Amino acid sequence: MSVNHRVTQVLTALTAALALLLALPAQAAPLRIEITEGVVEPLPFAVPDFIPETAAAGEWGGKLAQVVADDLNGTGLFIQTPQDAFISRPTSFAAPVQYNDWKAINVQALIMGAVSVADNGQLTVKFRVYDVFSGQELGKGLQFQGTTEGWRRMAHKVADAVYSRITGESGYFDSRVVYVSETGPKDDRKKRLAIMDYDGANVQYLTDSSSIVLAPRFSPTGDRVLYTSYATGFPRIHVLDVGNTQSRILESQTGVMSFAPRFAPNGQTAVFSISEGSNTDIFTMDLASGATTRLTNTPAIETAPSYSPDGSRIVFESDRSGSQQLYIMPAGGGEAERISFGPGRYGTPVWSPRGDLIAFTKQHKGRFHIGVMRTDGSEERLLTASFLDEGPTWAPNGRVIMFTRETQGASGQASLYSVDVSGRSLRRVRTPDAASDPSWGPLQ
Amino acid sequence: MSADQDIPEAGRRRLHFGYYVSGAAHVGLIGWLLIGPLFEVEPLPFDVTSVTTISEADYAALTGQDTPEDATPEVAPAVPDAPEEPAPPAAEDTPPPAPVEEPPAPVTPPEPVEEPPAPAPETLPDVPEPPAPVLSEPDDIPPPEPAPPADEDVAVVLPEVSQRPQPRPAPRVAPEPVAPPEPEVAIEDTTRDAVVAEEDSPTPEPQEEQEATAEEEATSEIVTEAAETPSGAPERSVRPRGRPPAPPAVAEAPQESPETPRQAPAPADDPAPAADGTADAVADALAEALGGGDTPAPAPTAASGPPLTAGERENLRLAVQDCWVVDVGSAAARVTVVVSMEMEQSGRVITSSIRLTGSEGGDARATEVAFQAARRAIIRCQKDGYELPVDKYDQWRQIEMTFNPEKVSR
Repeated sequence: MSVNHRVTQVLTALTAALALLLALPAQAAPLRIEITEGVVEPLPFAVPDFIPETAAAGEWGGKLAQVVADDLNGTGLFIQTPQDAFISRPTSFAAPVQYNDWKAINVQALIMGAVSVADNGQLTVKFRVYDVFSGQELGKGLQFQGTTEGWRRMAHKVADAVYSRITGESGYFDSRVVYVSETGPKDDRKKRLAIMDYDGANVQYLTDSSSIVLAPRFSPTGDRVLYTSYATGFPRIHVLDVGNTQSRILESQTGVMSFAPRFAPNGQTAVFSISEGSNTDIFTMDLASGATTRLTNTPAIETAPSYSPDGSRIVFESDRSGSQQLYIMPAGGGEAERISFGPGRYGTPVWSPRGDLIAFTKQHKGRFHIGVMRTDGSEERLLTASFLDEGPTWAPNGRVIMFTRETQGASGQASLYSVDVSGRSLRRVRTPDAASDPSWGPLQ
Repeated sequence: MSADQDIPEAGRRRLHFGYYVSGAAHVGLIGWLLIGPLFEVEPLPFDVTSVTTISEADYAALTGQDTPEDATPEVAPAVPDAPEEPAPPAAEDTPPPAPVEEPPAPVTPPEPVEEPPAPAPETLPDVPEPPAPVLSEPDDIPPPEPAPPADEDVAVVLPEVSQRPQPRPAPRVAPEPVAPPEPEVAIEDTTRDAVVAEEDSPTPEPQEEQEATAEEEATSEIVTEAAETPSGAPERSVRPRGRPPAPPAVAEAPQESPETPRQAPAPADDPAPAADGTADAVADALAEALGGGDTPAPAPTAASGPPLTAGERENLRLAVQDCWVVDVGSAAARVTVVVSMEMEQSGRVITSSIRLTGSEGGDARATEVAFQAARRAIIRCQKDGYELPVDKYDQWRQIEMTFNPEKVSR
């Protein structure tokens, strides 16, 4: 190869390299914007009446849609667009969605459902969820089947699926709550265990009002309930089978008061308090064998134990420091670490199903609060304030807390309230009578 | 008797004079040829600079200021993006999918009275999938015109260039005439009484209204052709076509490139240039640098023009954040997501281009929810398009938004 040719190639290569260097800065970076502020407002949704696909299904379309709408509205995260604002009404479950009609009324999530009733009375409910502004379906269609008696559960399941697809979290609508139903005047209050849907529907009573019952707690699977009863004239822990309403006493030490029971996450162990004289300590019991294990042994009053979701730790209240505070100890007992340091008294701690938060009751300056804090005691937030708020219980998804609120005065009554973990959407749960001590069961 | 003897004496003298003149001229010429170069003056020295011709396109590629893709919108009409979603009438035209019969539902066994029967959830594989309008191809909307091939020289599409308007010829008259000088005032010697208008004097006849006409066009300066030459030629040339793939070395060796006519022919024992690895590397480097070759040119990313002002950026930020709904109690409220998107010149987002390019602070489920919330905010708040300066389109053609809920979740 000649020298000239080589020189030409080298020069060409240098030119190419220079061109590359000059071209690199020309790759313009995109316009970068950082959004640090948003809005906290409910997401508008629409749920037209479920389309009846059989003649016998006509009565169910509106009922199903109403329960779904109530579920979503009740979260505070969604707001229903009334049906009289609809521009078009779907007439077929398979018809294409007219997205522009829903955009025009600012609907962001559209729930389309259909219902049919077979000759044998089988109810079939199916639905689809659409993200209107994205113009696409969220997830795939689902359908549920059951008897007509279970139509509310089907509606709850539809709402759970919608909630999950939009928020990314599991729902809590198809769940039940066990609580203490109260009747009569304050000085002669009759109490009995009751169970209901999370929204207060389908109330059923599990015990009679012949004896005082306190603090029912659902098992992790929802098939049993631990509660404290004065049926023997002495507070004793009972376990009740929800299916047949049969109960039995958990045999522990005789002649002592046992109370504040709660299931371990495995469902095989119960943790509770035993009071001997002026001392109250925490114990566990293997429900199969009845073997009891002491976890604390201090002269202080230590009660209201609650397991962490993984069953490795227990949070409880104790006045060992001179005032009622929250502590965490290993599930097998041992050194406890105090986590509450704010002013006032802390009690009835409950570990969140997510494991990240602990709900508690706080009494400060004559008022009661329901609050949450992280498991290390940080980021304490008070969600409510009233004359008497107490006894928090977590929804199965760890998003909502239900608790007891009692009004002041001789005619004051206890009732159940729910509040979002963010402190928003405080709502009263409608019950036939006064209600207290709720325990939220698992998602069914 | 010779011929000379026949020539008269005067003629003989004139002939000899001619010989003398001719001989002197020849001697002078021969002498100048022999010794003339000795007296030549050296030419004035001058610099010789080798000049390599380079096209405007090459220059643009070297400086990186212009790319053929940038020039394309001025030359060819913008290719419309795929429709984000079908118009309502189009969706109606889309035939619904054929319904599929569902299998008979299995009977759920009854549960205890205390607990309502649990409905059995099933997926709906046999429920007819409603058509996804976003994916449907409306029949009445023509598909977007295909983009020209990468190796096609789009600069030839000259007729579609909007030519610069040429100034119409106009007499070089100032737009406003100069006020005429005031007439000289002559003072009259005689005094006259002031004239008082009589009341009964006839009103002056209205003058006939004249239709308004445009002012005569004029120009205030002389524009020479050198300074302003209207032309239909594109102001920015496109990137030159990439080199074709290197032919086999055997075929190229005997042939001399027409671009190098002055290059001396390679000797027979000299290896062919194409066979040399250096030549291939050079060709590849050039092809890559110039965006040519077999690979298609990359997407236009070079931004030109002034950047967006702080106010323009703030307007965009405010517009999006008004629609960003944060569920402060959710796990997604602790996730920061970075979303990229491409924009149409109208300010609308190309929905299909919205991508999650980064996240921090949550698991996959929470990240997905946070991304969907950001996506909804971007789409919902654009309405008819974000208000962005069209002349700075290159600056916001691609946008990357970071949604950080830290402040909202406090």
